[in-house]
Amino acid sequence: MFFLKKIFWIARNTFTEAARQKFFSFLLLLGAGLTAVSLSLTHFDFGDSELKFIADFGFGGIFLFGSVLAVVTTVQLFFTEIENRTALTMLAKPVRRGEFLFGKFLGVWCLLGVFVALMCGVLAAVLALRAGTLAEVAGARGLPPPFVDFGGLAVFGVLQWARLGIVAAMTVAVSSFAQTYLYAVVVSFVALIIAQLQYVFADFASGEKVSFGVKALAGTATKLIPNLQLFNTGEALVFDPAGLSAAAIGCALGYGVIWIAALVFVGMWFFRFREI
Amino acid sequence: MSEENRIPAIEIENLTKDFRVGMRGVKLRAADSVSFRVEQGEVFGLLGPNGSGKSTTLKIILGLLRPTSGSCRIFGKNSADVAVRSRIGFLPEAPYFYGYLSGRELVKYYARMSGVPAEKIDECTEDALALTGMTDAAARRVKTYSKGMLQRIGVAQAMVHDPDLVILDEPTAGIDPIGSAEIGDAIRAMKSRGKTVVLCSHLLGQIEELCDRVAIMNRGKLVVAGTLDEVLTQRGKQLAVIGAGTQLTPELVEKLRERDGLNIESVSHPRISLERYFLENLKRK
Repeated sequence: MFFLKKIFWIARNTFTEAARQKFFSFLLLLGAGLTAVSLSLTHFDFGDSELKFIADFGFGGIFLFGSVLAVVTTVQLFFTEIENRTALTMLAKPVRRGEFLFGKFLGVWCLLGVFVALMCGVLAAVLALRAGTLAEVAGARGLPPPFVDFGGLAVFGVLQWARLGIVAAMTVAVSSFAQTYLYAVVVSFVALIIAQLQYVFADFASGEKVSFGVKALAGTATKLIPNLQLFNTGEALVFDPAGLSAAAIGCALGYGVIWIAALVFVGMWFFRFREI
Repeated sequence: MSEENRIPAIEIENLTKDFRVGMRGVKLRAADSVSFRVEQGEVFGLLGPNGSGKSTTLKIILGLLRPTSGSCRIFGKNSADVAVRSRIGFLPEAPYFYGYLSGRELVKYYARMSGVPAEKIDECTEDALALTGMTDAAARRVKTYSKGMLQRIGVAQAMVHDPDLVILDEPTAGIDPIGSAEIGDAIRAMKSRGKTVVLCSHLLGQIEELCDRVAIMNRGKLVVAGTLDEVLTQRGKQLAVIGAGTQLTPELVEKLRERDGLNIESVSHPRISLERYFLENLKRK
């Protein structure tokens, strides 16, 4: 059980360090501000889609700023430990490299959880505010109030946390062998973009007018790259009365957890052989 | 002496470490067939100029690097074994710690990492802080510490789990002579508690004062290893100390040369070192 305690304390320390960084507060304020600003766009008449428009701001903010936070914070915390030699002090204790790396990842992932929760909170507040006004208007016109599922928003938040966990785990895997800060950031962002476009490879793999070689290549890429588009469930969870089935949500979460585990394992493998 | 005590704290045999550098992977040999042993309870100095292979050797001892060939055993166990590190305390060169933690929080954090039982963490932390004279500053954030205080809190984190082997890499780098002497006192205290200390330092005076044995490395190779007497005594020369009241004038020296055939190379007055003067007159009460 000692290894779990060590991982817990490393994660806690990483979380504290990350949460005190100005970068986290800056991105949080920027994302929340952007979501709140969407309220001021209500003088444009978007009709029924107004709430979706506001939600899109929020969803986009969570993914965009969350991804930037996941990549930059992970790389920063990892390289700071190596450059400042705090990693030397830590690894000279009875701490395995895998425990150290996993603890660092968990700390960042917890921070991302706080980020997503706060962003979803702001989005929920903005949606509730506007939905209330629109419900009054709709009532005066004898129309049904707009549908917003706040429980669905909470589920969406959990799925985004899993999605950002994959991004952080990808960054951990890249950082484990990268020799410079810049390289780790650039490669991680490239990996993020590729994962975001994974469906393109899937399309190629299933395309009929594609050569066998391209098909095989695209098929392999599909298996080696996580599909981040799978987590674009905001509209279905928040605005569709039918929502998503528990099985679909469970599958998406499971998919996220498996990818996180695989990527962190890759990171641990590379870090095992790294000379620091 | 028990069987356990007879096992060397560190035993290095034919240790070689090559690094691959650059795009072409050119081989750079940082340690070349290095062999030495450090017995339990002694203060051992590892010396050498920059780039001599000291840090590489230390990292292999700590299990942070894998040797290309050769072996390194700590208390009889392979240095790559993580469990053996619970018996080691390490202070890296120019240490940097989490600035947002207080000194006490930092030492507690490392105590937890070292496997100190939860019920003993507070006691061990206070002991380590007291040993290094950091109790008064323990509530302050580490980022407000001076260089000397950083070194001392570094020694505290290295000592918090009461290790049997303490490795200090340049513990006095950048510290004033008084702070340096305090670290020297801490090392003496460790020795008196039966700890084995490996000291890497460029302050040769301090090494001379503290170490029982030394090893000197250069360009990755071990140049010499042994007690200070073995390494420093110049058997081919003798030094006579003339007591007060006898004036050793140039004429007298000339007479001694001519009459008795003494080979007197130079005559000088004994003097204390500046460091000693500084310590005797300015040391904190």
